[in-house]
Amino acid sequence: MKMKWLRGLVLLAVLTLAVAACGGGSSKSTQGGQQNLTFPTEPVQLEMWWWGEQEAAGAKNWVADTIRLYKQKHPNVTIKPVLQTTDGLVPSFKAAAAAKRGPDIQYFWGGIWSLEPAWADQIVPVSDYIPASELKHYLNAGEDTFDGKVWTAPWYTQPSFPVLYRKDVLAKAGVQPPATWTDLLAACDKLNAGGVTPVAGGIKDGWFGGWLYSLLGSQEVQSVQPVLQAVAGQKSFTDPELANWWIKLQEMRDHRCWNKDINSLELYQGQQYWSDGKAAMTMVAGSDMKKFVEQVGVDKVGVMTMPKWGAGPLAGKLGSTSQTLGITSWSKYPQVAADFIKFMHTPERTAAWFKTTGAFPADDRFDKQAITLPQQRQVFDLLLDGAPYLENYIPTELDSQANFAHSQLVLAGSEDAQKAAEATQNVANRIRITKRSIVKNFGAWAEQQS
Amino acid sequence: MKVQDRAAVTPEIAVPAPVARRRRRGRRAASFEPLLWMAPAIAVILFVFGYSLVDLFRSSLQDQGQWVGLENFKATISDPLFRTALLHNLRLLVVAVPVLVLLALLLSILLFETLRGWRFHRAVIFLPYILPIPVVAVVFGQILQLNGLLNQVLRAAGLDGLAIDWLGNPGWALWTMTGVIIWKELGFGVILLLARLLSMSAEPFEAARIDGAGFWQLHRRITAPLLKDIIAFYVVVEAITMVSWVFNYVYVMSNGQGGPGSSTMVTELYIYQTAFQFEAPQVAAAAAVILFAASLALIIVFFRLHRPEGAETS
Repeated sequence: MKMKWLRGLVLLAVLTLAVAACGGGSSKSTQGGQQNLTFPTEPVQLEMWWWGEQEAAGAKNWVADTIRLYKQKHPNVTIKPVLQTTDGLVPSFKAAAAAKRGPDIQYFWGGIWSLEPAWADQIVPVSDYIPASELKHYLNAGEDTFDGKVWTAPWYTQPSFPVLYRKDVLAKAGVQPPATWTDLLAACDKLNAGGVTPVAGGIKDGWFGGWLYSLLGSQEVQSVQPVLQAVAGQKSFTDPELANWWIKLQEMRDHRCWNKDINSLELYQGQQYWSDGKAAMTMVAGSDMKKFVEQVGVDKVGVMTMPKWGAGPLAGKLGSTSQTLGITSWSKYPQVAADFIKFMHTPERTAAWFKTTGAFPADDRFDKQAITLPQQRQVFDLLLDGAPYLENYIPTELDSQANFAHSQLVLAGSEDAQKAAEATQNVANRIRITKRSIVKNFGAWAEQQS
Repeated sequence: MKVQDRAAVTPEIAVPAPVARRRRRGRRAASFEPLLWMAPAIAVILFVFGYSLVDLFRSSLQDQGQWVGLENFKATISDPLFRTALLHNLRLLVVAVPVLVLLALLLSILLFETLRGWRFHRAVIFLPYILPIPVVAVVFGQILQLNGLLNQVLRAAGLDGLAIDWLGNPGWALWTMTGVIIWKELGFGVILLLARLLSMSAEPFEAARIDGAGFWQLHRRITAPLLKDIIAFYVVVEAITMVSWVFNYVYVMSNGQGGPGSSTMVTELYIYQTAFQFEAPQVAAAAAVILFAASLALIIVFFRLHRPEGAETS
């Protein structure tokens, strides 16, 4: 009787292995973590949920063209693109991940946005399907790397964030573009005296608080490691290197650097003051910079990084992050998804991307001769020597409840820098209780930065 | 006292036992009849809400499938942001509901007393109530900016000191939002009370007037007591609105942030953010259970107030 059971079990195991080996109509082998799946010959349907038209106008046409060209190359592969809304991008994917059905290729912002789904086993590492010789050309892949694997593939870059200044407005007020922090505060005083808003922004929707954190908060840290350690509870957000940026924000407030109504405007409404010539400086998304420059006039616009106040190695550098694509863990054809991503990085496609959208492809093989706008060329050079984009290294809850909320309070004059730093630390303490996996994941992430 | 006992001691109205039993059975069947008619609706409600409620309670006691007891409740209650949100709901309840009731009563009486054009005025007052909340919130969001329409008018009138950042100032934002909510919700109360006033007999009013009652006396002594039930209903509906139906206003007017800072954070937005933006559904479930309990308490209060007189003794 026992022997019959054993025989049955062995047979079942053999059958299971045989079915697994034959499954999907393509053969599979593993070499050093690299999945060697043969390209399927049967009809393949893939779905790609993406975002980006919102910050890189024209992306929709480029995606449609790329899918059409890929179909010409692989007639058996049909890819259905689904453009997501800003508010819908993350929740739609979460719902799909819970049901384990939905997109094969999913769009992610970099850093924490791509690693959270990795930690939740919702995506597979792209480095298992795209060779290292190819991946090394993808810009900012480091922020999507965990446990030695690259989890999502950079698509296009988001220079974060160039400071644009109006040469005409500054000249009229007799102010030079500020290079240092002291220059900036002096410029604020002088511009205010002349009735000009020094820097235009809008923080009603909160997001600008994350920008400010990255622009100011990166200036004194030695790397992203202390930030990750503070999230994991090994350091504190009240430590000077992590908290002093609040003082700088307070200084900007005290020197009336911002438009008075910054708290009741969304960012684009604030930026309008700059476009209208009522403000001297503003910050814009790098992918969107071309629009602002052309709107005002190429000769009238200068570009720079955030004036330096810190002595850290990231101070004075432009934040650099890439928007990425990942392959879902339930996709039947990850090798096809990976091949499509590689196709998006072919020289012809990256050139077409820039031509269509004006945003830089996240690929160091991109020929910068294609960039004709001087301001864009300057930003691309800054990008190649860019700094990690700090906002991508903290949990979204911390970003929202600390950076968004307390930047609003500091700028409204209801709170000082010290209280804002303490509040940030309190939020971090709380997140470690409500999201117990944070400590482990951020601890490991921090360790991998050394 | 039981029926058969009463039959035994009062022979002149005594009913034979089999007849009494038949009547009792008939009464029992009659009391079940409404339940029978309601059964399909109850089944649907149980199916739709019952499962969700059970699942909500289950989630509030777990973390990633692991039983954690009351840990999520502890985490929720210890969160200053949750307490702030709850306090804001309470502030809306305490401030907005009395203001709404008083204004609705006053306006409905004025409309009731006004002979000319009352239909037009009623439509004007009711209009905000039928406007979609997001539309109202977007429009007010624009009007109430520091350089918005309201402040432009104030500045033009030389009232620069009153031109504050209505939604951008953390000290003012919740008050401003309360004002918008009152403006929007008022129409419902006016229509409710006016409908009741119009359906009343004119006799008590005429009698009071003949007896020499003035405007305030008439409405304090006659109108208000006659409207007691409707006012109680309106109070409870608005109380529930302030506790658990202000999400749309806050979400649209503060761009989903509950800001500046946490100055307009309410419990619903806290639950939404915690569940869908910060991916802590177990904490959101605990907060939702607390909100559910608060709403349930208000509903119980309503039914207690609304219980017909003598219901306790019947």
